[in-house]
Amino acid sequence: MNTYYAANLLIYAGVDIIACLSLNLVFGVSGIVNFSFIVFQAVGAYTTAVLSLPPDSTSGYDFQHYIGGFNLPFPIPWIGGALAGGLLAIPVGFVVLRKLRSDYQAIALLVMSVIANTVITNADKFLNGAAGLALVPQPLSTQVDPSTDAYYYLYVGITAVAVVIVLIVANRIVNSPYGRSLRAMRERELAATAIGKNPVAMKMTVFIVGGVIAGLSGAILVGFIALWAPSVWLYPETIILFAAVIVGGKGNNIGAILGALLVPVGFEEVTRFIPPIGPVGLIPALQWVAIGLLIIGFLWFRPDGVRPESRRVFEGGPAREVR
Amino acid sequence: MELIRIPGVEVRRVSRTAALPAVAMLLLAACGGSSSTGGGLGTGDLLVGVIAPFTGADAGLGPAYLAACLAAAPSINNNGGVGGRQVKCQQFDTRGEPADAVPAASQMIASNHNLMAVVGCTSDEAATVAPIIDRAHIPMFCMTGQSEFNKTALKYFHRLVPADIFDAYAMVGYALYGPKHQAYQNAALVFGNDIGSQAFVAPATNAFTKLGGKIAINQPISLTPGTSYRTEVAQMLASHPDVILTEALGAAGTYLKEVKTQNGGQMIPFIGTSATIDPTWFADVKAAIGVDDLVKYYAGVDLGYTFSGPAYTEFITNLNAAASTMADAPKYKQRGSTLHLYDGIIMTALAMVETNSSDPTVYNPEIKIIANGTSGATDVHTYKEGVDALHAGKTIRFMGAGGQNNFDQYNNSQSGYIWVNYDAQGNEIPIGQMTPDQTQKISAAGGI
Amino acid sequence: MDLYLEALGFGLVSMSVIAIAAVGFTMQFGITNMINLAYGEVMISSAYVAYYINRAGISIWIGMLAAAVFGAVFSFLLNRFVYAPFQAKGTSLIGMVIVSLAVSLMIANLLLPIVGYYSVSYENATGDLLHFGPIILTTNQIAIIGVALLLMLVIHGLLRYTRLGKAMRATAANPTLARNCGIPTRRVIDVVWLITGALCGMAGTVAAINSDSFAIANGASFLITVLAAAVLGGAGQPYGAMIGAVLIGVITELSAATWSPQYKEVVAFGILVLVMVLRPQGLLAKRGALAAAG
Repeated sequence: MNTYYAANLLIYAGVDIIACLSLNLVFGVSGIVNFSFIVFQAVGAYTTAVLSLPPDSTSGYDFQHYIGGFNLPFPIPWIGGALAGGLLAIPVGFVVLRKLRSDYQAIALLVMSVIANTVITNADKFLNGAAGLALVPQPLSTQVDPSTDAYYYLYVGITAVAVVIVLIVANRIVNSPYGRSLRAMRERELAATAIGKNPVAMKMTVFIVGGVIAGLSGAILVGFIALWAPSVWLYPETIILFAAVIVGGKGNNIGAILGALLVPVGFEEVTRFIPPIGPVGLIPALQWVAIGLLIIGFLWFRPDGVRPESRRVFEGGPAREVR
Repeated sequence: MELIRIPGVEVRRVSRTAALPAVAMLLLAACGGSSSTGGGLGTGDLLVGVIAPFTGADAGLGPAYLAACLAAAPSINNNGGVGGRQVKCQQFDTRGEPADAVPAASQMIASNHNLMAVVGCTSDEAATVAPIIDRAHIPMFCMTGQSEFNKTALKYFHRLVPADIFDAYAMVGYALYGPKHQAYQNAALVFGNDIGSQAFVAPATNAFTKLGGKIAINQPISLTPGTSYRTEVAQMLASHPDVILTEALGAAGTYLKEVKTQNGGQMIPFIGTSATIDPTWFADVKAAIGVDDLVKYYAGVDLGYTFSGPAYTEFITNLNAAASTMADAPKYKQRGSTLHLYDGIIMTALAMVETNSSDPTVYNPEIKIIANGTSGATDVHTYKEGVDALHAGKTIRFMGAGGQNNFDQYNNSQSGYIWVNYDAQGNEIPIGQMTPDQTQKISAAGGI
Repeated sequence: MDLYLEALGFGLVSMSVIAIAAVGFTMQFGITNMINLAYGEVMISSAYVAYYINRAGISIWIGMLAAAVFGAVFSFLLNRFVYAPFQAKGTSLIGMVIVSLAVSLMIANLLLPIVGYYSVSYENATGDLLHFGPIILTTNQIAIIGVALLLMLVIHGLLRYTRLGKAMRATAANPTLARNCGIPTRRVIDVVWLITGALCGMAGTVAAINSDSFAIANGASFLITVLAAAVLGGAGQPYGAMIGAVLIGVITELSAATWSPQYKEVVAFGILVLVMVLRPQGLLAKRGALAAAG
């Protein structure tokens, strides 16, 4: 069973890396503060779930009520999940990516995240409300028995492939002319507009791409834990990922990966090994305090994160701007 | 700079540490070093894992289960342990949600090779955690009423509490056949919209309406903290119910206080699920509507505990002694889940002694047999009695602090429900129960 | 029909609670340009302070005053030691939001081991039920409405008729210019944090009285409602916050009466999002004393 725990950590690391890469694209590179990030992951997970589950009238599944239930084989549900994330980005983007100033935008997205969670919890027949969707069929479970170690090696492998694909896509975007335009837009939107870039279109595009990647991370996660409920995607989860991107270093993919390993994986898992001392719940509470301190500490001492975004300087160009 | 590097290093160190036991285990297994079937009870401490929410929205659940283990351990350890091995308890926090429960469970299993049993696993996480523990072949006693476990295929899963639907039937039974009142005609269903609560609505509705009652209003309420339920209560009162069926943990006090206020100081009779038999709920509602109204207008349903007898006496002695480790432990002296998990742990220990094995694949099937008993089995009430009987060559049936158990083929156990009231101190007072005939009628009407 | 009037009556109480909080929040934003997401946690900490005083046998209304003092001092220190330094450093708007989020996390979790997870309530008689036609309110609830009205009048008086109020409005409109005119902006900002902190503390106590029992988790849900009211009315506009509070309070209760009560918060937040999309500056126009920046 140690294989299982090791696989667990690796798969969670993969999911968090993909999530942080998405957040880095949207927030780190483009400056959109998507405080509703976790909803995109959730939409990916729910879509994957309803695509892979059999209809809810099937015996053994009839204790839950949900839409869909098409019992599709891997990899269709994962593709569906990723697409759903991208699709969600469209209406959300239309709502927020316009003339709202950045902190308003952030608040609006935060509130939307809360609304989404409340609505899903209360709409019992839609996605089974607070209990969520259980017994989600795992990918390739008909070919390889999920109770064997081999299955988990396979799953880790699939996750790794997904991470590599996402990393390649993210790198291409960040290191491309498009990436330059995004960074220009982040730094000086007015100037970027003046030279003919369309900020709204750019923001929308990157938002959609971010949504697709976030949806994929949800698909991978739900395929592993085989369950998805509103309790998994409350808004503090977004904050952890933001902490990860800030700590790791926003604007660059290595920073995002570092952040993913340090905060959601490293931090959260290390605290499991601390013996429970003091009143019940002291250690987890202190863990949140530490995350808060981490964020504040990094924003004060090292706002660029562990691995800062590399300053792109051109030979003979103008002097670097002081941040 | 140093400050920032260190966390990175620690992460890598942790992964390597997690991998080391794996390597060690593989080597040991290869050398045939682990204990084998019937091959004796082994040496070293045994661990009972308490896997439950200790933080987050359901933080109140974990401590009740930990208390059960802290009481069971001395019952075993003071009487020779399991072949001399001492039982220890450790909590594993699932934080009340499945994505955190999975690593909690897998870490529990990976880091501890002396797990004898696992207790806890609530509705918040059972669906993900039970398969993991089952795969590790460790007997578990789960506290989830979810219907997905009514016909489970997991061999190591044991459920000592009935499915939620039976709670609902018992409540309807009280509404229709309870003592001290005429059968109620119009019921208001006020349940929270969380996982635990909503499962009651459908069976209660079916049963009540098919047997002649009317549902005045079905009002799922949001359990968001800080909500005052004024408009909800006004709506509910406008439907003129004569009884309220409720489980809205955390919101009950606020809601009921509002009912009393808007109804001109007059409380309406209300029936609670078995989860309302809980010191926190009692304190909350007592502060809200006063102890007199609580005693007079409340009825609850619970499994038929006697809270007496040799098993219970030992339980309560050890529970009170556990206060040195966990200050709140004595509070759970009447909590059904605490009683049942206490019994589950002791039955596991007896199963190990009976099969003379520390291999769960060998002793797991024996747990059911000890619980259900076979013909000619001697009734035992404590661990010591059980061990003595086993050493005298007898077969045993364990009847513990939570009473009798009857596991069906799906490892679900039920004992009958009773109706209860609270007294002014918060103790449970049985007031009656359904006849088998009534039970049959309600189950048929509710449709299992 | 009666049910709707009743709901309206309940809405009066809700909106009173929200108004006290929202005005404080929006003034913080208007004058210091800070969306203080730790506001909800300061509210709940103050409610706990009142709780401990109440447990010692003192009336909760006095406890409320103690909570006001606590809120004032706490908010002042928060600004002095956390927010102002970050702002002086030139941290971006978003950076400040994230800082305040981190602070709120820390406050909530530092408090948690001290006060525990379980809900507590005040010792406080509900009082008699009074009937105004179909509207029923307890004397407690009437007291809450009274407190809110009083505070609104005080704030109005402060802003309109005192020199401090004028200084605050000037600082909100243009801090540099204000400073150049000789207004001690730093001191004005300190005073603003004290005043809004006091409002925050009182709001927390009143909200706790209103919801009958409370726990740490209430902090986050208060915050969202307060945000909704403040932004709805026009961030930085105290009168806007009052209007926003009225709307949110009444609409939540009315929607609970007409539709399903489980969705009543969703309705309120949905309105907020709608307003943010259609009219991001909020209901009250940007003109006026405490205009929102940008």
